[in-house]
Amino acid sequence: MSLDKSVIKGFALMDMSTRGGQYVGNWRVLMPEIDEAKCIACGLCATICPEAAIAGKPKVKPKIDMRFCKGCGICANECPQKAIEMKQEAKK
Amino acid sequence: MADFDVIQGNKALAYGVKLARVEVIPTYPITPQTTIIEYLAEFVANGELDAEYIHTDGEHSCMGAAVGAALAGARVFTSTCSQGLAYMHECVAQAVNYRTPLLLGVTNRTLGWYWSLGPDYSDIMPELNLGYLVNFAESNQEVLDMTLQLYKVAEDYRVLLPTMMSLDGFYLSYSQERVWMPDQNLVDKWLPPYKAPYPVDPTINDKFPTASIPSVMHTPMRRIYEEVLQDSKKVIQEVDASFGKTFGRHYGGLIEEYKTEGAEVLLVTMGSMTTAARRAIDKLRSEGEKIGLIKLRFMRPFPDIEMREIAGKVKAIGVVDRMMLHGTRGGGAFQDVKAALYNSNVKVPLQGFVTGMGGEDIPIDDMYSMGKKVLQVAKAKRIEKEVEFIEHKLTEMGKPIEVEWAEPIYPGSDGCAGCGASIIVRHLLKVLGPNTIIINPPSCSGVNYGQAVRVPWVLANFAAAAAYETGVYRALKKKGKADKVYITSFAGDGGTADIGLQSLSGAAERGELIIWLCYDNEAYMNTGIQRSGSTPLFSVTTTTPAGKVIPGKQVRRKNLEMIMAAHRIPYIATASLSYLPDLERKIKKAVEVTKAGKGLAFLHVQQPCATGWYFPESKTVEIGKLAVQTGAWPLMEIDEGNFKLNVKPKELRPIAEYLKPQGRFRHLSEVQLEYLQKDAQIEWNALLELEKRGRFPGY
Repeated sequence: MSLDKSVIKGFALMDMSTRGGQYVGNWRVLMPEIDEAKCIACGLCATICPEAAIAGKPKVKPKIDMRFCKGCGICANECPQKAIEMKQEAKK
Repeated sequence: MADFDVIQGNKALAYGVKLARVEVIPTYPITPQTTIIEYLAEFVANGELDAEYIHTDGEHSCMGAAVGAALAGARVFTSTCSQGLAYMHECVAQAVNYRTPLLLGVTNRTLGWYWSLGPDYSDIMPELNLGYLVNFAESNQEVLDMTLQLYKVAEDYRVLLPTMMSLDGFYLSYSQERVWMPDQNLVDKWLPPYKAPYPVDPTINDKFPTASIPSVMHTPMRRIYEEVLQDSKKVIQEVDASFGKTFGRHYGGLIEEYKTEGAEVLLVTMGSMTTAARRAIDKLRSEGEKIGLIKLRFMRPFPDIEMREIAGKVKAIGVVDRMMLHGTRGGGAFQDVKAALYNSNVKVPLQGFVTGMGGEDIPIDDMYSMGKKVLQVAKAKRIEKEVEFIEHKLTEMGKPIEVEWAEPIYPGSDGCAGCGASIIVRHLLKVLGPNTIIINPPSCSGVNYGQAVRVPWVLANFAAAAAYETGVYRALKKKGKADKVYITSFAGDGGTADIGLQSLSGAAERGELIIWLCYDNEAYMNTGIQRSGSTPLFSVTTTTPAGKVIPGKQVRRKNLEMIMAAHRIPYIATASLSYLPDLERKIKKAVEVTKAGKGLAFLHVQQPCATGWYFPESKTVEIGKLAVQTGAWPLMEIDEGNFKLNVKPKELRPIAEYLKPQGRFRHLSEVQLEYLQKDAQIEWNALLELEKRGRFPGY
């Protein structure tokens, strides 16, 4: 979130062009790991990730952005190939 | 003397209500008031408090129920704050002339000038002058004690007026303090059951409070009410003294003086900030400064005589305000103290301070500098600036992280892990595109995703979101833009089925060309899982706990589809985040219908909520699927009167498969489970029957 100053005195605005998220990856307890051999690139995980933290679509192998993955495990639970496994997050 | 407990302010208030044996408790959740009504729900569900607990559909109704119950002669408690208190306002006023001595707990939170959950007195400020007795508490002990005292004062026939108990949100509501618990037997003796002089009960009397009087009586009545309020000061003193005699604690009536002996300068405070002020006074005193403190315990009736008396002995007074009266240059307490002194013989410089707005902390250091400032004023014998705003620099906000891909929602939101609502927002915006305006009544999505989407997200008021949406649509229509912009709500079940229903019904009936999307997580999740009109039968929420006497919610949910169908709108559909192609098709259909000028389109999307339904967060989509396959959430649509089931399993799976993984149904007995199974089958058969008919009745 960013608050930008408007030309009008005391008018708080939210500027959509400067929006972006925070590092919520540090909420994670379990971490998804994709088994490339099992993945058929169906795109389902990218479609249902609540955080939109997975880049991918049909025929393109998914890539998880760990800066944003909260580790909910929906992708692993829904993967039709069981190609995603939730593993204990490495200690930082 | 009974023992103590370390509890939050909200619990202290709830205990006070329990000790007072309140008979009727209408409720509606709002942060930071919610735990009061949750504790009370627990007391009632476990049979510890024999009270009528009413789950109302909005604050306006909540206060309406409170006034009604008090009219019928019951001892009544309700509570709210902020926007909720503003929404109550009409009924709040009504309680005065009906002479209902109810207690309204106000867990102060700023009114939405800019939204914040933190306290200031902008919420209670517009309610001060209606004729209530308004008390401000400093500690959790005072909250509990004053709950009992206020009932005693209010129910005294010399007063018989409603009262407000103000406790600062978070600083008291959610702060743990040691609280001594009065003994129930002692309380029972000290505070006997309330006996209304003229209850609305035709079986026992034929005189009732009236709502209207001839206009010639209005001025005299205002004079009389003012006299009653002024006379109540004596009752306040009496009750405080008698409370002290019985329970060993007393507070000193309308104001409390702290280290005022020999003081040449005074600070005036109210509420929880007083504790910080005490420490600042201690420090200044230790430095040899002759400064004291006045705590305003009652704002109404205002302690004018007391203030005059004490002001005559000092050289300067500083008033610290968490209440800004815009257009008057200063704060509420400042203006009241000034008004109290003006026509007296006392002439003393008055320095105003405004600080701590929106819940910002007022630290001891600030109180110390304010004290210093007033000492300077006393020395100089004049004021440089009548009102000073004590401000602090904004700490650097975290820089947002830019991402490369163009999802309609930025990753990195505040939503819970495994949140289903964001899946729905994403796919809604995927279909509608960037030229979309989302109208959002308060909801968890507003908090979490309002700042994460790439489109305007308008925070509407809870009861008026469909009206906000109508206004935006009509203005764009007038400007010839209605075809180019998509307008949809993203409303929770509370904002749709309960408090938002009236305004939605109006928009539907008028045929506004807008989309109403309700994401239904079947409770008020934003305020912490209180039951809504959409909470299913037997479900546990924080206001329908699995109590020993009352296990879970005891009534069935509203059937929103049928309600909307009664408006004969062109498109109604249920959907699920577990059936995304179906959801996307339905969103497209809603766009089609509205753009064709046919009327309002209503989409009702179930959102399994890991946090509120108590299931593992990885199972959000799985639970959604089970809901559809067990008949708990049938996917259907009513397309211009044509009824269709979109997902039709040959046979429903047992409802237990859906219920068992969810903690909110963990308490279910065999009997309850069997009932739910039968109920799901009956509902499903009815839908099959409807589909056979094809046309929906009434269209």
